[in-house]
Order: sequence, then structure tokens, then C-alpha cells
Amino acid sequence: MVRPVLVCLRAHRALAGTCHLVAVALLALWPPPALAQDSRADVIAKTQAEKAGRLVPYDPPRAERVVTAIKEYFIDRPGGFYPAIGSVYSGGGFTLGVGFRRFSGDNTWFDVKGLYSIRSYKLVEVGMTAPTLARGRLAAGLRAGWRDATQVNFYGLGMATSTRDRTNFRLKQAYAGGTLTARPVPWVVLDGAVAYEDYTATTGTGRAPSIEERFTAATVPGLGASPRFVHTAVTAGLDWRTSPGYSRTGGYYGVGLHDYADVDDTYSFRRLEADLVQHIPLLRETWVVSLRGRVETTLDAGDRVPYFLLPSLGSGSTLRGYASWRYRDRHAILTSAEWRWMPNRIGMDMALFVDAGKVTSRRADLDLDGLRTNVGIGVRFHGPSFTPLRIEVARGREGWHLVFAGSPAF
Amino acid sequence: MRVSRFLHCRVCGRLALAAVLAAAATAAASGDGRKFYDDDPIAREPETQDASRAEPWEIDLFFDLAYNLFARPGADEQGVRAQNVNTIDEVPDSSWFTNRIYARPVSIEELVRGPNTMDGPARGPWTIIRPKPAGTAPGFVVRDVKGEVWFVSLDARGYPEAATGAVMVATRLFWALGYNQVESYLTTFRPEDLVIGESARVTPPSGRRRPMRRSDVDAVLAQAARLPDGSYRALAGRAVPGKILNGFKFHGTRPDDPNDVVPHQHRRELRALKVFGAWTNLVDMKAGNTLDTVVTENGRGIVRHYLQDVGSTFGVAALGPHDWDEGYEHFYESGPLVKRLFSLGFYLRPWQTADYREYPAIGRFEGEVFDPETWKAHAPVAAVLCARDDDTFWAALRVKAFTDEMIRVAVKAGEYSDPAAERHLADVLIKRRDRIASVYLRKLNPLVRPALDAGGVLTFENAVVTAGVGSEPAGGYRAAWFSFDNWTGATTAIGEPTSGREGRLQAPASLPAAAGTFIKVEVRAVDPPVPAWKAPVSLYFRRTGAAWRLVGLERTP
Repeated sequence: MVRPVLVCLRAHRALAGTCHLVAVALLALWPPPALAQDSRADVIAKTQAEKAGRLVPYDPPRAERVVTAIKEYFIDRPGGFYPAIGSVYSGGGFTLGVGFRRFSGDNTWFDVKGLYSIRSYKLVEVGMTAPTLARGRLAAGLRAGWRDATQVNFYGLGMATSTRDRTNFRLKQAYAGGTLTARPVPWVVLDGAVAYEDYTATTGTGRAPSIEERFTAATVPGLGASPRFVHTAVTAGLDWRTSPGYSRTGGYYGVGLHDYADVDDTYSFRRLEADLVQHIPLLRETWVVSLRGRVETTLDAGDRVPYFLLPSLGSGSTLRGYASWRYRDRHAILTSAEWRWMPNRIGMDMALFVDAGKVTSRRADLDLDGLRTNVGIGVRFHGPSFTPLRIEVARGREGWHLVFAGSPAF
Repeated sequence: MRVSRFLHCRVCGRLALAAVLAAAATAAASGDGRKFYDDDPIAREPETQDASRAEPWEIDLFFDLAYNLFARPGADEQGVRAQNVNTIDEVPDSSWFTNRIYARPVSIEELVRGPNTMDGPARGPWTIIRPKPAGTAPGFVVRDVKGEVWFVSLDARGYPEAATGAVMVATRLFWALGYNQVESYLTTFRPEDLVIGESARVTPPSGRRRPMRRSDVDAVLAQAARLPDGSYRALAGRAVPGKILNGFKFHGTRPDDPNDVVPHQHRRELRALKVFGAWTNLVDMKAGNTLDTVVTENGRGIVRHYLQDVGSTFGVAALGPHDWDEGYEHFYESGPLVKRLFSLGFYLRPWQTADYREYPAIGRFEGEVFDPETWKAHAPVAAVLCARDDDTFWAALRVKAFTDEMIRVAVKAGEYSDPAAERHLADVLIKRRDRIASVYLRKLNPLVRPALDAGGVLTFENAVVTAGVGSEPAGGYRAAWFSFDNWTGATTAIGEPTSGREGRLQAPASLPAAAGTFIKVEVRAVDPPVPAWKAPVSLYFRRTGAAWRLVGLERTP
């Protein structure tokens, strides 16, 4: 009986004076029907009445508030600052930056971003992206920027080079251009791009000797030159992967032609690239065999290709067991095979892989003889259509290499 | 456990604990010592307080998913008896649940109609008033010429009849099972039937809201399956009455609803989704697919709870067929992950070899490899984690109450154009129903529908035998009879235990007959096919007039 009295006292706290005390005393003698427990319904009603006295609005737990805030700021908010993750240039190491995006129209945005890597590689870029023109069949982009790669590897030309030959150079590039991508039907992709590119190659800043200390312009084409190009590229491909950023099925067969027109007409050249990617799912995508073949060939034997624009092998997306830019020459061939399995179907893949490739000075030597190979294993954390983190270890004849990347291998 | 503690706010924790204790007190003995009140067993859960001040809450779906996957709320409360059951172990009607199938006969006509109360949206132009607010299926919110608001969703391109058919069928099944369902109608429209309302706004990727344009409508229709005559098949969901509060969580209670005193993980009808979800493959079980509204009843605001979106069922989701593993694994499970990681993927699960007979309208849905005990939704929700054998037994009784004819009639509501697809869906539902009955009805002493007549003859059914998934115990049944003191709980044996076969036992001659007398009967199986049946079911009867009334049933303490 004591508890109902207290409840009634609280309920009548606003009352004052003797009359009210008498009323409270009477209420104590005859407790309200809602508080009596003569039935199961009364027992439940009492519980509900008690809760009615302490109703509060929903207060999300701290973790939910934090997650929601992060999501709202970085994912839901279309414009504003964002953390920029990417690569300045192959071999730059771990890179972070910041960007700012501003929309114009429904789905066109301008952005500016800056990136900085642990090897002091730098990138500043402004751009415009319109990914869904013509009902999603056209995508257009404009880019202008400047990058500074302070210590790009150079080991000499061809496959008969040694790690002891390692030198480096600094490459600065200013660029401005645009791209247009058309998908007349979902599985056909046509790309066109044109850009003005201004290269300045200077003394490297890394621990290895700078390139001019071991090589000369006679042995390395373009050494000492700083050419400017009008770079035009067209690509046509059949693409029936679920997404270029992550796929377990489908394939991509594409061919591209690059024309580098030197403003001074000294180093003009053209290059043909052919890519073949095929994903073969096994047992309901329990495993996926992924295959890649890639050929890059300089078209004209008389073309002078500056050393920093030669086809190359060695990096987290080519020969993964070798250092970035390990091999360079006028032509290159690369093959890769992966055995992928999915420890968790959402978000995590594993892969055993082998890469094999070589560079050659003559197109006639583009065959499968004398390929450099590496093997490796990796884990990929992915979304339905993107791979934000790929970590791999690969071993080639020159040792182990650890790969961190923010894109699929192919 | 640490994560769970971190994520739970202190206030919510205290409220939940208080509610558990209070509810436990209501379900077990009363505070004044009585085991049974005069109104036991209650048939309706009272809702005595005004909830009109409850406000909408935003449940972040990403957080909800991550919380359920990694913090696993409710995992440390397994074994607790459902707190909203009455004294005969049944779920009273409430704003959550209405007893329909098994509790009473449900006619074919009722099943066909389901929650629907009218004929669907009126013909004529539909005025789009806003984009579809949730879900991935293409669609709009429209107002018909009669002023009724409809949530229109369409089949994904390449999968005609799939998403709309699934909702139509599942809505009827879940309505018959007892849940509040949105009225859903199949209809068709042509693009020219759509008119953009003056107030319709869209939010493009830029985030800047602007008036809806015809191109926005065309973009939505471009994602949808178009019929050969140029029209679109649509599912029209009628706007539910009342103030929308958004979804409910499968754990805890709403802090602003005074009548919501039983933590949701301890509500039997939500725990039963472990079985109903397995039957229908309701993999997308989450707060985002539920809905609370405030409606006025008897002058008070009451929160009504809906299973709003039961469309991600059978073998399809909004945009196409389920992945092969859906229904077999959560989005994340550490055990299989580690095993697959180190076995190079050679740790195989049943979904990898199950024989799916795929129809575009049905997706991947099968009944041969199906195991109801290992079925899993995308994420483990607390109510399902807390389900005990008595909860799954209760649910299995309802699933098994669907006859073959009822299932085939419900499937017809999907209006599938391919008779083979329709037949396949019904066949698989029948197989899964039988599998559920075979697994869950056998786990406990399956005595149901007990009655004691004035002459002292106790009758009951064996649910396993009734379902045709097992046999009577070889030795029949044995009942121990007691007088029962409702105030102290003391029992005194009445005569010697009696035995009988096939659900019929005679009480001892000395059975008391005074009005208000309570007796307790413990019935166990003798030489049963399942050892668990040796555990007794305790029945409590009260003498009212010349009859005995069942007031208590305890299958599992």
C-alpha cells in the first residue's frame, strides 16, 4: 500500500494546502483502480502506468551517433570536403589527401584535391565530372593538374638489367584535358581522351643514384629532355563485368590507341594497347579464376619514346613481385592468373596469383619466352562494385614485395 | 559483450531491465502470490496508456546492420521465456499480433483477401506526390483520383513479376500468421497515366531538392520490367493510417511508448520469425522493413506495429534473385570465414550444391536442402536469437496449419503468368512447411489443445501425430493429478497416476468438484519416439460451474 501512496503524492505534488493533503489521504485509503492488481490486466496496466511516468524520447547510443555523423558527413553529404585516397604516381607509397567537391546541376561536380605520399610525391588537381549524361550513356570529365614524383625508379632498358642498376629521377607533369566515355549499349564501352601534357624530368631525390649518374642520352631515349605532348587516346571495348571496380564474372576485351604528339615534334610516338580480362566463376562463385593478358606496343620502329613513357612492368598492378617501373622498353607483354576464393561473400576475397611478363625492344620478341614471373597471395576488401583496399605479398626472383592498393589488380 | 555494453545507453539498459522484470512478473506468478488471476488466460494484451506523444525516430540502417552483426544484441539473453505469453503459453492479441491461423479457422476467402479492405487504387491518372522513400525497387508515391495515397513499386528490369509477386504472396501468409500487414494490390498502369504533382520533389545526387521532371519518371521506369503492351505491372501498397513513427527494433522497447513494456526480443511473435522467416526465406529482417504508427483507439493513441516489407522473400529481392547463400549465412560469420580462409574455399556449405530450379519470377528457392534450424537472415536480430524451443514449437503449429490448398491459393495471389513457376513456389513452400513441422514440433512434448470435461476425461492432441510427421508414443501417456493451491503453489497428489492412449486419459475418481478449485495435471509420454517427450506438460484447470476451464499450460519452464 505504501507505493500507491507515494505515487499519488507525486501525482499531486502540484496541489497545495490542507484540502489537498486530505484528498491525498483519501486517495491512500482508496487506491486508484488502475493501480489495484485484481487481474492480470491490472498487473500489466500498472507496468504501463509506471513507464508512462518516465517516457523519454529516443536517445541513440553514442556509437550510433558517431557512425551516423561520419556517414552523413562523408557519404551522404554530396559536396564539401572529403578524404582523398589515391595514388600520385606508381611507386609513391602510402598516399593521403583532401578534396573539396561542389555540385553543379543534378549530377555534375567540380572538385579540387591534393595528395601527398610518404615519398613526398605530390598531386594537385582540379576537375569536372559528369557521369550520367544522355540518360547514363555518356560520361564526361575534365582534368587539370600538376604532379611531382620525386624518385621514380629506372633500371635501364630491357630485361637484362639488375637491381644494382637502380637509379631514379624526378618527374614533374602538368596536364589538362578531357575524356568522354560512351556506352551505346551496356556491354560496349568507347573512350576518347585528349590532353596537353608537359613533362619535366630532373635529378631524382631518392637514395639510389640519379639517372644521369649512370646513364646517358645515348643509352636512354629522352634523357635530359622535357617534352610537351598533345596526347590523344581512343579505346573500344566489350565489357560485361559487373563493374570494373569489382567483378566475379564477365570479361573485358579492349584495344586502345595512344598518340603522343610532341609539340616540338621530337618525341612523337604512337602506342597500341590490348587488354583481355576474363573472370570464370566456379561452383556459384565459390571460386573465381581470373585471367588477364595485356600487350603494349610502340607502333613505329622509328618513334622516339622518352624513357619515362616507355611501357613498363613492375608494380602493384603488373608484375607484383617486382619494384615499380622495374622493367621498361618499347614493347611489353603481361599475363596474370588468379585463383580467388571468398572467405566471406560480402566484403572479403582472397587470391593466389601468378604474374608473368617481359619487355622487349622488338615487337617480334613479344612472345611467351623468357617471362619474368612472380607468385603471391592477397586479400581484398571490397564493396559490390569497388575495391577500396587490396593487400598482397608477392615473390619474384628479386625477393618479396608488399602491395597496398586501392583498386583491383585487374 | 564489451561492444554491446558500449553501444547500449545506460538509460535504455535500465529501462529494458525494468521492463523485463515487470513483464516477467506479469507472465509468472503475480505479485500477491497468486499464480492465476480471474481473467487468466488473457486473450488480449491491454494497452492502457496514451501513446499519442510518441515521435518518429530515425534508425540508421547501416548502424542497425552492423550492430546486429557484431554486437549481437540479445545473444546474452537466450533461454529467457517469452514475456508476452499468457498463462496457457499463447500470445494474446495486441497491437503487434492478431491470432488467426491455428487459433481459429481461416477461410480461403479470408486468406485471399488478406489485409485488404478495398479493390485497390482507382483507375485514372495517378499523381506522383514524391519519390519512393525507401527500398531499392523502382517506384513512386502516388495519389489516385479518389485521393488515396499509394506506395507503388515495380518489378526490376529482367525480373518481371518477381518482386511484386513475392509481396503479394508473402503479405497473405504473414497476415494469416497474425501480423499487421500493409494492404497490397496488384495493378497495371501506362506511363501516360502518371502525372507529376506540383509538390513532387526529388533529391538528385547533388543533394539539391528540385521539382520532379518527366525525365525523373522516365529514369525510374527505365529500371523497371515493362510488359509487352507497354504497361507496367505494379504493386500498390496503401498508406497505413496514423502518424508514422518509422520502424521498430528487434530488441529493447520504444522509450516513448508507455504500452511497450516487453522487450522486443522477448515477444514471442517476433521470436517466431525464426520459423516464419525460414519458411518464407524472409532474409531481409531488419528495422527498416518494419513500421510503427500511432492510431487512435478508444480515445487513446496506440502504437500499431507492422511487418511492412515482406517482399524480400522466397528466392527474390527487389532487384533480382537472391544470392545463392542468402538464407544460409549471415552477411558476416567468423566461423565459416576462418574455415574458408584457411581451406582455400574448400569448406563447402549446403547452398553451394543445392539444386535450385530457377524461375525469373521466383528466384532461388528450394525445399530439399532447406534446414529450418540453420536458416539465417542477413543479420541475426535479437528476437530470433532469443527464440527457444517453446517459441519455435508455437510457430511451427501455425506454419503447419496452412493446408496445401491454402498455400496454393496464397501463391495464386502473386498472379504469376508461368504456371510452372507458380506450382514450383507452392511446392517448395509445402516442402518447407513439412520440414519445419518435422523439426520443431518434435522438440518438445507435443501435447496441444487439452480439455478436461466435467466427467474427468482429459483429451488432447499430439501435434506431431496431427501433423503427420511422427507417431504416438509406444507406451501412451501417463498423467499425474494434483490439487493446486493458487495462492501458495502447493500441490497434493490426487489418487494414482493414470494412463491412456491416443490423447484420452481418465482422471482419478477423487477429482475435486467444488467451484473455484484448481487442479494440476502433469502429462508425459511413455516410451516416446523422442526422449524430450518424457518431460511433462503441466496443465492447470479451474472448476467453473460444472466445467473445468484450462487456465495454465507449461511446456517448458
